Amino acid sequence: MTELSFNLLHTLEPRRDAYGFALRPQHAQRYREYANIYKEEEGERSDKWKDFLEQIAKSSQPCSSEEEYKERLHAEDTECKAETISESKEGDDSRSGKSISDGSEESDPKKEGQLSKETKTHKLQTWAQIRPSLGAIEKMMSFRVQKRKNMIDERETVNGNHLPSIEEAESLGGASDDEKDCVNETSDDNENATRTEPTPVDEVSPKHFFPWKEELESLVRGGVPKDLRGEVWQAFVGVKARRVERYYQDLVAQEANDGGSKVHDDSSGVFKKWRRQIEKDIPRTFPGHPALDADGRNSLRRVLLAYARHNPSVGYCQAMNFFAGLLLLLMPEENAFWTLVGIIDDYFDGYYTEEMIESQVDQLVFEEVMRERFPKLVNHLDYLGVQVAWISGPWFLSIFVNMLPWESVFRVWDVLLFEGTRVMLFQTALALMELYGPALVTTKDAGDAITLLQSLTGSTFDSSQLVLTACMGFLAVTEARLQELRKKHRPAVLVVVEERSKRGRAWKDSKGLASKLYSFKHDPGSLIEEKECTEGGNNPADGDKSPLESHSSNLDELLNSLNVDSEVDSLPDLQEQVVWLKVELCRLLEEKRGAILRAEELETALMEMVKQDNRRQLSARVELLEQEVTELKQVLADKREQETAMLQVLMRVEQEQRVTEDARIIAEQDAAAQRYAVHVLQEKYEKAMASLAETQKKVVIAESMLEATLQYESGQSKALSSPGYMRILSTSRNDNSTRKMGLLSFGLGWRDKNKGKTTKVEESNESKSTNEGIDPKSSGNETKNEEQET
Amino acid sequence: MGCSSSLPDRTSGRLAGPNIENGGAPDPKNLRVKLVLLGDSGVGKSCIVLRFVRGQFDPTSKVTVGASFLSQTIALQDSTTVKFEIWDTAGQERYAALAPLYYRGAAVAVVVYDITSPDSFTKAQYWVKELQKHGSPDIVMALVGNKADLQEKREVPVQDGIDYAEKNGMFFIETSAKTADNINQLFEEIAKRLPRPPSS
Repeated sequence: MTELSFNLLHTLEPRRDAYGFALRPQHAQRYREYANIYKEEEGERSDKWKDFLEQIAKSSQPCSSEEEYKERLHAEDTECKAETISESKEGDDSRSGKSISDGSEESDPKKEGQLSKETKTHKLQTWAQIRPSLGAIEKMMSFRVQKRKNMIDERETVNGNHLPSIEEAESLGGASDDEKDCVNETSDDNENATRTEPTPVDEVSPKHFFPWKEELESLVRGGVPKDLRGEVWQAFVGVKARRVERYYQDLVAQEANDGGSKVHDDSSGVFKKWRRQIEKDIPRTFPGHPALDADGRNSLRRVLLAYARHNPSVGYCQAMNFFAGLLLLLMPEENAFWTLVGIIDDYFDGYYTEEMIESQVDQLVFEEVMRERFPKLVNHLDYLGVQVAWISGPWFLSIFVNMLPWESVFRVWDVLLFEGTRVMLFQTALALMELYGPALVTTKDAGDAITLLQSLTGSTFDSSQLVLTACMGFLAVTEARLQELRKKHRPAVLVVVEERSKRGRAWKDSKGLASKLYSFKHDPGSLIEEKECTEGGNNPADGDKSPLESHSSNLDELLNSLNVDSEVDSLPDLQEQVVWLKVELCRLLEEKRGAILRAEELETALMEMVKQDNRRQLSARVELLEQEVTELKQVLADKREQETAMLQVLMRVEQEQRVTEDARIIAEQDAAAQRYAVHVLQEKYEKAMASLAETQKKVVIAESMLEATLQYESGQSKALSSPGYMRILSTSRNDNSTRKMGLLSFGLGWRDKNKGKTTKVEESNESKSTNEGIDPKSSGNETKNEEQET
Repeated sequence: MGCSSSLPDRTSGRLAGPNIENGGAPDPKNLRVKLVLLGDSGVGKSCIVLRFVRGQFDPTSKVTVGASFLSQTIALQDSTTVKFEIWDTAGQERYAALAPLYYRGAAVAVVVYDITSPDSFTKAQYWVKELQKHGSPDIVMALVGNKADLQEKREVPVQDGIDYAEKNGMFFIETSAKTADNINQLFEEIAKRLPRPPSS
């Protein structure tokens, strides 16, 4: 009924996936990438399944081949048995269905088409047979349910036409405890227990009758085609074998009566509570999903309320809303109800009850398996302070709904429902850890690790990789192994649960159970009122007083049904008897409760003692370790300090080095400048020397000239001794001679002076003293002066 | 990949950042805080978290199964940052059996009720008692009356909340995830009340 609307919606609104679920915006891109892969896989899958179904339809035809004949005989035997049972319940449609499937394969698809058309057109149809071609699978799977079903049968015949109501549901719930183990063990001989026919066939496991079981298994791992999924799931869960005609309708009718008239005796506290919770949760179940319109929500409500009535030990637990919603997308209402019954009562027995014991046990088991398989990862998580159960708890409780992308959820459910155990839960969780463990060990704090794992899990679009990793990578995780571990861890959980419930009792009204029930006898209304007021006042305690609560609720239900009976009979002394019986029952229950309490107290006391002992040892060790840690830390801190000190010293040295280096460079530059200056000076000195030499030459010339002149003069004076001439000459010559003499004396003096200076310059060149910078200037000046003078 | 997992300090050497903490001395400037939200079903725990972390409000949000996790970092005026690691728990009573898993070791517990539902206020008191008995001894607790935008439907007076919080040494605030009223204030106030590690 929903397929059509999905397709329609898918084309209109790309924000939703192929199943009509909202896509998170951050996943839209990846979904689009995978959409084509999904389509491809889907195509392959439907071909494979078609072939497979045709093949088993052919092989289930009697006398089809000689080799199979013998086996067929046996199979036929069981088939007949199975059918007589279903016939007694469901009339003759199963027989006719089978004959059609046996008829010819060609007519199959036609028939299928017809069937699905029927489901589409009759929207109000609440129950539909699954297509006959799946009959063989259904038959195989119904072995698992056979025993339970037989028990219901017996109950039915005993009760005649009596409403299959709480009484039966209770016995069902009670039976499930004993049954759990038998059902979980491969259901080889469960027929033997109840059947009187001691046929040897019964001892052989179903594998023998269904040689294609392994092929089916691999097909299931590859995924169930979309259009078959709803029916295949029903076949896996064994809906047909579970179904009791009119049971669902009666539950719904009963609920409708109670819900309408709240004054009625039946509306006890727990039911009211569940009803309220369901009301709250319905709009919060796949909000906005096109199939969950007003009608869809009403179906969801009916299924959940009927289930709460069917199994009051579970009632309603958050998460079931998603399961029921999911099933309603794939199948009609009553089929969804029975599938839900199968999942919660069988596969997840004890998971969603008030105490959620099995769910807690599974978490401990999972942690142990994790430690075995991924010691490094768990070490890292321990180091970060992350508990595995924080993450795996929600995974398990929701069976991955809302945790994985939808395609992956469906694939996991395919295998889980096929196997009929919770092994696939563990395998999937382990596969996720294997896929994402390497990323997880790189995280540095708890928040990052959890965020990373959540987002990676939420984008596990590669559903085939996930399922194959889960199924192939963790073959060692088997139901037997899990049962063993569960047995090991269960006591610890029970102790905690008991403690909690004891605490809860402190909250409880001081009024005992017996007195309450007694007052109920006199005035049924008062109990309801009281229940209401205790609920209002002590509401928070409800979670804690769980075992007691379910006790009392069951009791109430029982009493209620008794009450109904007595009303029908309306015989005064019978009523009195009933009252007396009730009181007696109360007394006995009170006694039993007392005994249980005492036993619990003793047990917890023992556990306490053991724990305290352990605790002391542990705390001593912890202290020791802590001390060590602080010491080590101290050492570490010291080391760090030393390191920084060293570093500082090193830095200082380095700095000094740099300073000296700088100084050296400056000095070198100075030296170069000086060298240049010296060079310049040298040149000037040479020039000066050259000019000196020239001057000297001139002086020599002048001297020789002077001498010549003197000689000439003396010669002349000897020759011309006339005074007149002498006088004239002497005056002129005097003039001349004084001038010449001055020049000569200067030249001689300068030569002497210059000689001294040369030595001085040579000295300065050798010493390269610091004050040389000034020197060239002054010497330059000097030479200039000298030149000017010359 | 996984070989160095338990020895994070080995490769980082002396450059090891301040946030490497072996549960020992946390960095006083960058706090990390585990926070758990508790309270009756449908009081708006998830909505408060979504408003605070993503700034969104969805009137038809999903039922929380088990618990869900989100984290958000805020900066305070004294230049410290606080990273909240928020565990949002399922509200239905029976999930209380799993709550210790999440509130154990939490530094902060935010107990939420719906101001239009006295039942949820009673339930909040149950959580406070449970935390006092089984939570960390120095846990910072906040009492939050949510859906403050529904004034006309109010059934729990503000004074009741204030009185109860005061009696139990809690911080009290009324919020609205729908209008975002007081949501950031709630977390800022919590951050201020956190016990600070002695700055070294």
